[in-house]
Amino acid sequence: MAEQLVFDLPPRAAMGREDFFVSPGNAAAVAGIDGWQGWPFGKMLLVGPEGAGKTHLVHVWADIVGAEVIKARNLTDAAGEALARASGVAVEDVDEIAGRGDAETALFHLHNALAQRGAPLLLTARTAPERWGLNLPDLDSRMRQAGVLRLAPPDDALLAAVMMKLALDREMPLKPRVLSYALKRIERSFAAAQAFIAALDAMALAAKRPPTRKMAKAILAEDKD
Amino acid sequence: MTDETWGHVRGELMKSIGKNNFSAWIEPITFHSFEDGIVRFLVPAKFIGSWVSQNFGDVILRHLISAGIGADRIEFTVDPAAKAKPAPHSAGKTPDATPSPEPVNVGGNNGNGNGLLNASLNQNFTFDAFVVGKPNELAHAAARRVAEGGPVSFNPLFLYGGVGLGKTHLMHAIAWELQTRQPQLRILYVSAEQFMYRFVRALREKDTIGFKEMFRSVDVLMVDDVQFIAGKNSTQEEFFHTFNALIEMGKQIVISGDRAPVDMENLDNRIASRLACGLVVDLHPTDYELRLGILQTKAETYRERYPKLQIAPGVLEFVAHRISTNVRVLEGALTRLFAFADLIGSEITMDLTQECLSDILRATDRKVTMDEIVKKVCEHYHIRQADLLGPSRARNNARPRQMAMYLCKKLTTRSLPEIGLKLGRRDHTTILHGVRKIEELMAIDSQIAEDAELLRRMLEA
Repeated sequence: MAEQLVFDLPPRAAMGREDFFVSPGNAAAVAGIDGWQGWPFGKMLLVGPEGAGKTHLVHVWADIVGAEVIKARNLTDAAGEALARASGVAVEDVDEIAGRGDAETALFHLHNALAQRGAPLLLTARTAPERWGLNLPDLDSRMRQAGVLRLAPPDDALLAAVMMKLALDREMPLKPRVLSYALKRIERSFAAAQAFIAALDAMALAAKRPPTRKMAKAILAEDKD
Repeated sequence: MTDETWGHVRGELMKSIGKNNFSAWIEPITFHSFEDGIVRFLVPAKFIGSWVSQNFGDVILRHLISAGIGADRIEFTVDPAAKAKPAPHSAGKTPDATPSPEPVNVGGNNGNGNGLLNASLNQNFTFDAFVVGKPNELAHAAARRVAEGGPVSFNPLFLYGGVGLGKTHLMHAIAWELQTRQPQLRILYVSAEQFMYRFVRALREKDTIGFKEMFRSVDVLMVDDVQFIAGKNSTQEEFFHTFNALIEMGKQIVISGDRAPVDMENLDNRIASRLACGLVVDLHPTDYELRLGILQTKAETYRERYPKLQIAPGVLEFVAHRISTNVRVLEGALTRLFAFADLIGSEITMDLTQECLSDILRATDRKVTMDEIVKKVCEHYHIRQADLLGPSRARNNARPRQMAMYLCKKLTTRSLPEIGLKLGRRDHTTILHGVRKIEELMAIDSQIAEDAELLRRMLEA
């Protein structure tokens, strides 16, 4: 049988508040986002590993506040100028721009413009600002001034929920027994869950069948090598 | 249908789909209502509803019907309680009780109609809130002097110092004080960036005359972070002319920068010498006493917000000692510390401080490895590695081994089969059993719980 070629189309992820699964590891962060009006200095950092739900929470917040969302790597002076008038701004993956002078300066000015107007600023990164290595001391101190909301690495319930959601985002019919099988054998990180679901989806699409435990086994065996 | 019937159906479901499936998928959902043949359940998130309905919808419905419920279909809605989980610290707190900066329009007080003098000042940046110590007393005194008004004694006042030492705070404080004493004064506070932005806009809109008039009609001009226009030639030029015009008219100017005017690269020499012709004062890096003073002041402010907060003796001293950079970093540390303590609802102790501020206190993140866990567990229980990894099932070897399994699962992201391989080629189900065993024991045996906590601390430190 000829192999079915599969397009790697990005799934459209559900980003609503109702799609966010609250667990002990992220409850504090969710509460902190909900209480955005009380953020010290009008800004907050959302810190967590890849796939922990930072982007999801950012969109939840942006919906409430009517805020603009931008990736830090796309920040330029011009973009910053336009955003400075928004009712709130979320800047994602700030740790990525460490060492890039233009983007750091743009974020610094954006930060000041928002602070002066009292508009809230939400920032996301994988680690706390002490680990970013920002070059601009003015920006560095302002980032370290912010409060930090942490998304913890997943516990079992959260990892199961994340895999369910990833499967549903891809409209992949993932059976409970396949999921249980994988849960016990997978590396317990969000990134591993994402990679696993993507690989399983690709394999199932190529085989033109719903994902099976055998496929899961094959993918997990591949990981080991 | 009642909760009781649902309880019965749950029992049946457990039998038919198995305990594992039940605890993973059915347990989190709660019965809500039964109307018009529709049974409604509450779920913690929307996608969980879709999942349960796809995989277990039929079997749930079948069991409901055999329990005598005339149900046609089942529906899932998101549990509002799970959505807006109230955090302990947000309870009873109103948004307006926050210390976040409230912008206040100063220019508006002057009856200025053109809307350009709309620099906003931070309400918290007053002289009262400024903690004075040896490193900043000269700058503070000079700022006070300017704020008193009266004959212009030094013009311009140039404040410089590293980041987060209080330049902007002093400038805002001068503006507030002047505004209170002499409400008729037209005070303009802008960052250098804004100055440039307005100038560029004026050029684009061919309104440089308006720009010049606006900036030259003020009584007090304050420009923050002047280093950001260094190297921007036409902006520098315009700034130079504005500056000269105001000085000639005897208007007060206050400038801040990150270093002394002569040390600014790319700053026009003419401007540098002009900036240096008034009084140049620097804000020195904070010393221990000043940091402690700042922390105590801030802690008082926070106490209004979190009345139940308890700080153990020595904690503020510890923070002042360990965080030696600037005031913003101190503020960030306190913000994190108080939010964390409030969340877990306990006194701020030294241990809690070290754990919460580990990012700030430690230079790098350490990843705990399985080898370290094995080593530490063996040391803690005084057993040999060969015994821990070997086949012995004696209690004094098996318990530490299970503890190692538990710690590997909690502190690393390794998969269960990998942990099994490391701990003497054991099956992943053995690992799962060991982890569950320790979790059970922790709930009833405080010694085990203490061991686990102690080992975790040692490994993560």
